Amino acid sequence: MMERAMEQLNVQLNRLTRSLRRARTVELPEDNETAVYTLMPMVMADQHRSVSELLMNSKFDVNYAFGRVKRSLLHIAANCGSVECLVLLLKRGANPNYQDISGCTPLHLAARNGQKKCMGKLLEYNADVNICNNEGLTAIHWLAVNGRTELLHDLVQHVMNVDVEDAMGQTALHVACQNGHKTTVLCLLESGADINRPNVSGATPLYFACSHGQRDTAQILLQRGAKYLPDKNGVTPLDLCVQGGYGETCEILIQHHSRLFQTLIQMTQNDDIKENMLRQVLEHVSQQSDSNYQRILTSLGEVATTNGHKLLSLSSNFEAQMKSLLRIVRIFCHVFRLGPSSPNNGNDMGYNGNKTPRSQVFKPLELLWHSLDEWLVLISTELEKSRGDVTTSSGSEIASLLLKQREVDPSAPEANSLSTTVLAPTLDPEVAMKTSEAYASSEDVISMTANRLSAVIQAFYMCCSCQMPQGMTSPRFIEFVCRHDEVLKCFVTRNPKIIFNHFHFLLECPELMSRFMHIIKAQPFKDRSEWFYEHLLAGQPDTDMVHRPVNENDILLIHRESIFRSSCEVVSKSTNEKLKQGIAVRFHGEEGMGQGVVREWFDILSNEIINPDYALFTQSADGTTFQPNSNSSVNPDHLNYFRFAGQILGLALYHRQLVNIYFTRSFYKHILGIPVNYQDVSSIDPEYAKNLQWILDNDISDLGLELTFSVETDVFGAMEEVPLKPGGTCIQVTQENKAEYVQLVTELRMTRAIQPQINAFLQGFHTFIPPSLIQLFDEYELELLLSGMPEIDVMDWKRNTEYTSGYDLQEPVIQWFWEVVESLTQEERVLLLQFVTGSSRVPHGGFAFLMGGSGLQKFTIAAVPYSSNLLPTSSTCINMLKLPEYPSKEILRDRLLVALHCGSYGYTMA
Amino acid sequence: MSETYDFLFKFLVIGSAGTGKSCLLHQFIENKFKQDSNHTIGVEFGSRVVNVGGKTVKLQIWDTAGQERFRSVTRSYYRGAAGALLVYDITSRETYNALTNWLTDARTLASPNIVIILCGNKKDLDADREVTFLEASRFAQENELMFLETSALTGENVEEAFLKCARTILNKIESGELDPERMGSGIQYGDASLRQLRQPRGSAAQGKQPCNC
Repeated sequence: MMERAMEQLNVQLNRLTRSLRRARTVELPEDNETAVYTLMPMVMADQHRSVSELLMNSKFDVNYAFGRVKRSLLHIAANCGSVECLVLLLKRGANPNYQDISGCTPLHLAARNGQKKCMGKLLEYNADVNICNNEGLTAIHWLAVNGRTELLHDLVQHVMNVDVEDAMGQTALHVACQNGHKTTVLCLLESGADINRPNVSGATPLYFACSHGQRDTAQILLQRGAKYLPDKNGVTPLDLCVQGGYGETCEILIQHHSRLFQTLIQMTQNDDIKENMLRQVLEHVSQQSDSNYQRILTSLGEVATTNGHKLLSLSSNFEAQMKSLLRIVRIFCHVFRLGPSSPNNGNDMGYNGNKTPRSQVFKPLELLWHSLDEWLVLISTELEKSRGDVTTSSGSEIASLLLKQREVDPSAPEANSLSTTVLAPTLDPEVAMKTSEAYASSEDVISMTANRLSAVIQAFYMCCSCQMPQGMTSPRFIEFVCRHDEVLKCFVTRNPKIIFNHFHFLLECPELMSRFMHIIKAQPFKDRSEWFYEHLLAGQPDTDMVHRPVNENDILLIHRESIFRSSCEVVSKSTNEKLKQGIAVRFHGEEGMGQGVVREWFDILSNEIINPDYALFTQSADGTTFQPNSNSSVNPDHLNYFRFAGQILGLALYHRQLVNIYFTRSFYKHILGIPVNYQDVSSIDPEYAKNLQWILDNDISDLGLELTFSVETDVFGAMEEVPLKPGGTCIQVTQENKAEYVQLVTELRMTRAIQPQINAFLQGFHTFIPPSLIQLFDEYELELLLSGMPEIDVMDWKRNTEYTSGYDLQEPVIQWFWEVVESLTQEERVLLLQFVTGSSRVPHGGFAFLMGGSGLQKFTIAAVPYSSNLLPTSSTCINMLKLPEYPSKEILRDRLLVALHCGSYGYTMA
Repeated sequence: MSETYDFLFKFLVIGSAGTGKSCLLHQFIENKFKQDSNHTIGVEFGSRVVNVGGKTVKLQIWDTAGQERFRSVTRSYYRGAAGALLVYDITSRETYNALTNWLTDARTLASPNIVIILCGNKKDLDADREVTFLEASRFAQENELMFLETSALTGENVEEAFLKCARTILNKIESGELDPERMGSGIQYGDASLRQLRQPRGSAAQGKQPCNC
């Protein structure tokens, strides 16, 4: 008994020492599940001696599958490349074809991880190379995915079918092509893989190579005669290359299938294809050789011409054809600007290496421009004819019918291709007969073609400009616009939307803009501001800038206590381009960032700019508005600060941030480059403005004013005589030249005195806002853009309104008036306020503090006898609305709105 | 996916106002007579893919206004046309007499190789006929034109007119007389390689077998 016990103890002791010496267990647990986790780490580390020892006397099942994926230890060994363990397990009867839960055999895992030795041993033990996993993948698929060419080479001899398909019908060649493994592809092809094999959706190896832009692989396939086949949905390899923007792969495809070149060109007409990708591809192909460059541009020109002609066909779909034409021309211009590939003449705008004019590529487009020209000439003839028609009244019956038709259908100018078809059935048969007998009326031709011709003009402009250095308008285009001036004006007068949709050239060419300015200015503010922003932000990658996450280095770090100076510093350190892309502000020692902080910065900063301590701006007479201080030079650095102020205002406008400054009417005019007039003087000196008004209103011949063209000014206490024009001190002011005198003296007070400040301010402002764009607005609208729409409290307004010449609050007309005001939009209320007071803003503290020409002057409504069609008028210097005694609320509302929309800007002496 | 074809031919339809040019085009494209037809303003556009001599050809057809006031606009479309239908009205001698002018325009403004087919339209109005078949065919012969009398109303000979013109152009390409690659030929290659590969052998039989007329 004792002996047995001793013996057992010895065995245990022995085992213990062995275990301790090796720092592991020396005996496998009874159950497989525990045992397998003991063995697994040893297999992974290929500790084959230990594994062998443990397995020696155990009943462990070497094919025991464990874990979530139900793998055997042989899987583990194959996966990790533990070749000694692998052999050991195989010797102990492990099944080389055992499949885990996803159907993978040890060979799959070895192949996937490129375990060369393991693969060899597995094959020795008769592992089946043709087994598929649950997705249908075989060992050669795994080798092909990862480009293990050497292993594949060994394995492929054992494979029954090199074209074995997975569940999607994909062969090893498909996956090798998709991943661009050149040598693997070659190996598979040499082993007899089917080069044109389609998968279940009809995708071939070439299709796969193209879908991922695998240029070299596509090259190999094409060289070996791969067919160019689309998939079952008709998607072709070229489609895929273009979708992905793979220029190099496209180039290869075209080299082997030259007809694809035309297909590529035709793709520019396809709205579904991403323009930037297609452009990228065409740019690449065009750079391969000078002949490619010429050929692409010539072909694009031909396609554009056909498209343009289709656009000019009245039955075509305007929207689709227009978009298509403009897209093609945009791509054309991009490729053209890139220039031919030869580096030695890259900058030469005129000729390439072969001395063929580069402008040659524009030739096909000439057909379209020629048609455009002829169309415009035709329209001009029609215009003349329709003028003749009005006087002779021949055919005016039809013309008026057509006009009526157009009034009924307000969408007619938009969907004008419909108007002919709509027309016929609605007219009675007799007239319809006449219509079809007669010419289509001239009116009709113009209204139906205006949009289409304008879109072609836009395309023409793009083509003209891409031959010019940036920012210059081509003389040919200027000449074109001048030649067709009358017709173009006719187009935009009838349908001003044309300006905003197609006449972008106006914004880039001030000489042409001036011709259309009066029409543009008459368009709704909303349309113009949309146009303004659309153009201002054109070329910026994202229009919603302020929210953009910004690089840490680009954050403007501002010190709150010295906000003006530190802002000035950081802004001058940054580049205009960066500031345009987006601004992020952080105050020193604070966490906050984002939109709110940016808004706060503009808010505080704009208050600082007008801080009297800096002496940059002075208050106007009524204390609500500001303009540059003529004595700002007390601050020696004042012009730099003015430039900075201009930059901040420009930046705010650029990013649609409102600032908390209101400038004088005259300063807004200065920003816009509009001449000031004597009425603007009232904002800084109302008394003086009245005197100027008096001179103009009265005959001064016999008053003996003894005025000359000069004034005395006070420069820091010393009086100086300043001539208004050369020799002005000797020129008498007379009844005849008094208007000039008033203008000059106004300019002196308003402009010349602060010219350097204005110039510096504008220099800063124009870094963000081009003068050509800002001139779309008048001074009132500029205020609206910079400082926003003021809130108007109608209750407060009503409380602080006085009535005169027969009106009182109880009058029905007054009741109606306030009801109408309640129903107006915020914008219309501002217009009304502007109409009556000349200012779009309610003074600080409300309507009770409304200022007139001489001190407080409440809003006043005066009665005027009603006569038909009479509009309300106003006297802005006494804040008086002269409201006719309208017979009904409807008429009042109607007339008031007419007056607001036509008359709120610009003064008429009513 | 874009349609595929072997060639694209640019066609013109020209002739005096009211001869039924737009109706011919409409009949050809829609297989219907266009009832309440207005005067064409400027130039209209239509296209159809046809099978000619085993080849698919896309006809891009520019239907021009016949009215004098549009003449300079329509002329600007002539360049680069491969074929033209010159249309007159068999019930109107005036439209027949104008043919010489139209022909001069086409020969001087379009490609010198332009293939023109003369169409005496409104064949269905035989009772009001003012131009005999014989004199018109003599005119055609003298001016090296093909000739057909057509009816846009019944559709008679409409398809034939377009196809005949297309076939002649195709023959000229095959004989080398016309070079599609030359600029302004009015002919373009389609991506035929794609089409042929997509329908491997056999399916081409759906088109008529080459007929070399």
